[in-house]
Amino acid sequence: MTTIDLLGTFLKILIVVGISQGVVAYLILVERKIAAWAQDRIGPNRAGLELLDRPGFRRLAPLLRPLIGLGLLHPIADGVKMFVKEDVVPGYVNRPLYLLAPVLAITMATIAFAVVPFGPVGATGANFLGFGDVQFQIAPGIDIGILYVFAIGSLAVYGVILAGYSSNNKYSFLGAMRSSAQLISYELPLGLSILGIILICRSLDLNAIIHWQDRHVWGILVQPLGFLLFLISAFAETNRLPFDLPESEQELVGGFHTEYSALKFGMFFLGEYLHVITASFLITILFLGGWDIPFLTDQAQTGWFWALVKVFALLLKVGLLIILIMWVRWTLPRFRYDQLMDLAWKRMIPLALLNLVATATIVQLVRG
Amino acid sequence: MSTPATHPPRNGPSVIRPEWTVTIDPVLQKELERHVLVTDWNKLIGLVDTIYNWGRRSSLWPLGFGLACCAIEMICTASSRFDIARFGAEVFRGSPRQADVMIVSGTVTKTMMPMIARLYDQMPEPKYVISMGACATGGGPFKEGYNVVSGIDKYLPVDVYIPGCPPTPQALLHGLMALQKKIDGETITDLPWYRRDVEREIPVPVLGPDLIDLRTLEITAERTALGLIEAREATLEKPPRIPAPQPAAAEPAEDAAPAAPPSSKLDKIRARVQGTNPAAQGDGETSAASAPPKSAPRAARKPKVAPVMPSLRWLGDEGLAALADRINAELGPGTATIVQAALLIPADKLLEVARFLRDSNVIRYDYLASLQSVHYEDCIEVTYHLDSTSRPGSLIELRVRVAEPEGQGKLPSVVSIWPGADFQEREVYDMMGVRFLGHPNLTRILMWEGFAYHPLRKDYLEPYYEGPTKVLESRVEDGQHFRGEELNPHGTNIKIPQSYQGWNSLDPDADPKGVHLIPPSAAVQVAEIDSESFVLSMGPQHPSTHGVFRMNLRVDGETVVGLKPVMGYMHRNHEKIGERNTFLMNFPFTDRLDYLTSMANNWGYALAVEQLMGDDAKVPERAEYIRVIMAELTRIASHMWSIGFLLNDLGAFFTPALYAIEERELILDLFEWASGSRMMCNYFRFGGVAFDLPDGWLDRCQAIVYDRLERRIDELDRYLSGNEILLERCRGVGVLTAEQAIALSTSGPVLRGSGVKYDIRRAAPYGIYDRFDFDVITGTRGDIYDRYLVRLQEMRQSVKILKHAVHDIPEGPILPGKKSYQIKVPAGEAYSRTEAPKGELGFYVISDGTTGTAYRYHVRSPSFINLTALETMCLGHTVADVVGILGSLDIVLGEVDR
Repeated sequence: MTTIDLLGTFLKILIVVGISQGVVAYLILVERKIAAWAQDRIGPNRAGLELLDRPGFRRLAPLLRPLIGLGLLHPIADGVKMFVKEDVVPGYVNRPLYLLAPVLAITMATIAFAVVPFGPVGATGANFLGFGDVQFQIAPGIDIGILYVFAIGSLAVYGVILAGYSSNNKYSFLGAMRSSAQLISYELPLGLSILGIILICRSLDLNAIIHWQDRHVWGILVQPLGFLLFLISAFAETNRLPFDLPESEQELVGGFHTEYSALKFGMFFLGEYLHVITASFLITILFLGGWDIPFLTDQAQTGWFWALVKVFALLLKVGLLIILIMWVRWTLPRFRYDQLMDLAWKRMIPLALLNLVATATIVQLVRG
Repeated sequence: MSTPATHPPRNGPSVIRPEWTVTIDPVLQKELERHVLVTDWNKLIGLVDTIYNWGRRSSLWPLGFGLACCAIEMICTASSRFDIARFGAEVFRGSPRQADVMIVSGTVTKTMMPMIARLYDQMPEPKYVISMGACATGGGPFKEGYNVVSGIDKYLPVDVYIPGCPPTPQALLHGLMALQKKIDGETITDLPWYRRDVEREIPVPVLGPDLIDLRTLEITAERTALGLIEAREATLEKPPRIPAPQPAAAEPAEDAAPAAPPSSKLDKIRARVQGTNPAAQGDGETSAASAPPKSAPRAARKPKVAPVMPSLRWLGDEGLAALADRINAELGPGTATIVQAALLIPADKLLEVARFLRDSNVIRYDYLASLQSVHYEDCIEVTYHLDSTSRPGSLIELRVRVAEPEGQGKLPSVVSIWPGADFQEREVYDMMGVRFLGHPNLTRILMWEGFAYHPLRKDYLEPYYEGPTKVLESRVEDGQHFRGEELNPHGTNIKIPQSYQGWNSLDPDADPKGVHLIPPSAAVQVAEIDSESFVLSMGPQHPSTHGVFRMNLRVDGETVVGLKPVMGYMHRNHEKIGERNTFLMNFPFTDRLDYLTSMANNWGYALAVEQLMGDDAKVPERAEYIRVIMAELTRIASHMWSIGFLLNDLGAFFTPALYAIEERELILDLFEWASGSRMMCNYFRFGGVAFDLPDGWLDRCQAIVYDRLERRIDELDRYLSGNEILLERCRGVGVLTAEQAIALSTSGPVLRGSGVKYDIRRAAPYGIYDRFDFDVITGTRGDIYDRYLVRLQEMRQSVKILKHAVHDIPEGPILPGKKSYQIKVPAGEAYSRTEAPKGELGFYVISDGTTGTAYRYHVRSPSFINLTALETMCLGHTVADVVGILGSLDIVLGEVDR
């Protein structure tokens, strides 16, 4: 690896991490706006309005007013507030673990992005200042990308479990218990559900899977059951309704993060949304063709224009999925703990196995 | 940053900083100031302040806890009509660790105060407190209650007070903006939470013999030892006591006593304030300062006596006589004596009679409608109202008398015969000190263990007691105006017996309310694997307990193996206050029982007093129709709310609830238009209603009833009833069989959900319900889903009734006579039964015919008694189910704890 590559990677890490953290703050706003839309309300729309009267800000008024109307300053205000809030560490917690948990949660959520392509990879033809083709992936060329994402995704739950355990609070403890059980249950259908598409594409490399879909059809068409199972498991993995049991406000107050305040609580918040983003990326890449637009794009197209089109296509699909996930949250009630387990063990795992066997048979038959 | 003490005031002389002492050319300085953002220390602080304050003011996350009526308006503030989200403040956090502002929404009771102080301490700085409504600000209408803290600011530093009872959502929004303004004015240099010399932690007050603030412990102990309270009470006029009713033969002699005072109450009080004796004005009343009223001479004029019957619909005189004969033949003569249309039973025969009535009588009295107690001059009487689900409407009343002195009354518990007596007997024990032998868990239910008194006894005077009846002297304009605090030697709402000694053993970490209610560890066996169970105290501050309800759960993993409801956190002394109020004054208090259904409560209370008043309060036709319209609209609004929040408890984040609230808002508009208030309507009067319907009201009502409600009910039905998750969560969960439901005295949709066709509107019709054609909806399985479905269908039936009523309503008067503020209620006893949205709402009223106040006033609250069934329904289910089951019971804490 040359120095240039290294620098490029660092730059990409900075950009991806920076953008994703910023995006997360705004995803929370999007979530609040979607909630408002689902509930026939307006939603946040006035943080910063009073600032416009201040002498220093008067000049910015024409610029700021429309942004304020959309509530775009609310995430910033939330951030500022969390930053200046007292950080309470209750006396009865297990201090090292209590401090470690939010760090784990956010770190694991962030580093999963390392292997997720957010655009075309390979000979993109998008040359950056003569340094070579830009790879729209932080660590290109990792051929076991899926395994990495899954491994990191499993680690992330330690944040939740440790938070629940170390808080020394009964609600947190119940949340952690639910979380560990839920994770073990849903890792299985999650893993099983993608084996089909891996068999078809014959690769664990996320880029190769996109390329296959680009050449043939989207994964959702050859693996509809796999897609459904993966989507459901993804909801469970990201702790979103109807599977948000570790948190479940109506039962466990705050669940695993009941005892966390200020920025530590914010880190869990960020981590949760980062997971949503990762999950949406995976669904897009595995089943919705990644950057592929049918009949329009193919691997051979190179140059900045096509690269950007592909990046945009990918991000658009991810964005729509995120909105879907949020929409579900404001629509459905929650499963009960044992029903969640039933769903995983008695329905989804058998279906996933069936899907795997069927796919394997067909693949074998087709290839002769 | 250095400590704030060294900072200059913002516009004062600037601190000398070596690098800034160079003189700068003023022109250059101006240029610099224009183009460089920060030029001096004050401006820097100004900039930091701007960002610091702006971030906090735009992101005020409230602590998600509601106390009472105000909490309902707080929730409405989040609904689409008001949308607190616009301010970025819709993020109600269940955990105090993540909240910025505590909205104290409702009456702060002594039982709740330690919890609130603890929650406040758990919130991270910067934290703010909004005192929402009259109660939180100063005790409000309940200030005179013995369990009410007269203002949250006695303990917490309050930032914004919002007036109103309850404040409308707009007022809360205004309060929020006022708080934002306050934050805008803060500067980082002198914020209390950065100062070492400011103690922000609140010492948690202790529930001892009364609520004791540890900051004033010593002075409280000193004043108590001096007996100042007792000394003051000795000078006050005590509430009169009347003798217990006697069998018919002895009645005339006994009853020759009290006289109706001819002069108005206000005149008497005026006179008293001016120092003259009202007795001297020749009305024959007992003189205020003389001996206790027990021995007071009574005037010769006989008070009017109300028709003698326990309730409007009952077994009837002949039936009762036959029943008494049968009991006497069966269980020995002298077992049952008829006293004022009720059976007087000796305490030692109670269980036999109860068993006979339930199992062997022709009419099976399987349903204990209500149980209450009255403190008479010579005894404490416990009365039981019984009805039969197979022959509804054949209500009878049993009386059992026990010794009057405190702590000596004992009688057998009927829990083994009617399990629904459980909480009601505990309430009688708590309030009157009567012991029930054989009760499985005879502990205080509304107050806490260790509270020094039994507050509903006539000899208990509240800390702010001033006189036996209102209007209180200190409130009269031409007299001197006092606040309750000034009258009490402690300067606050506490009263501790002089003999109290345990000052050194007061422990802020003790849990006097919950400690006796830890569920036993082996109630249900579930686990095959060897695991340990632990106790989880859910509430009183919890997102899903519908207020300040608390459950002590014993959980094994997630399975509930034991459950004990703990209540009383909203006990605001409704009954004690009701015994001081004149009959008319009590109307607004009934609004605040179940604050979602004020119209229905009004009706129940009006009905009880109308029963006493007889033909004086004959309701005109138009008023009857208005009453039905209002009650049915209330039912729809309440069921809407209930269904919405059941879904919320099941995890559907507020969306169904907010849609349901939308419909409720439309109904509240109608209420506001007719009565002047959204929630606390105070609209009914004895014999009618307070105002006629305004012009255009009926058209609007018609439009809503005919064109909108059905559509919206169908919409709820379409989206919710078939939802798989809802079905999975609700089917077969929290099952209550019909037998259990009857035995546990549940009522309303809970009873009907279990398949018992028992609706007071049909069982014991009141008003003009017998004219309307509607079905009594019942379920089949008795699970959460059936209760949900019953409520949904009942809304349809209500719409049906409304369509008729709105169409048929005649013109005419709305009151039998002129509007009157002098209500004369004849002596007697009445129990009214109405089908409120939550279930059977009963008001038990005894009037002595003279004082103008209720001698005894008891509310049979459906929410409270339905909770008796909670434990049965929850055992063996999971924590998540408990939340759903509680939601399906549809409790309102104002009514549970009263």
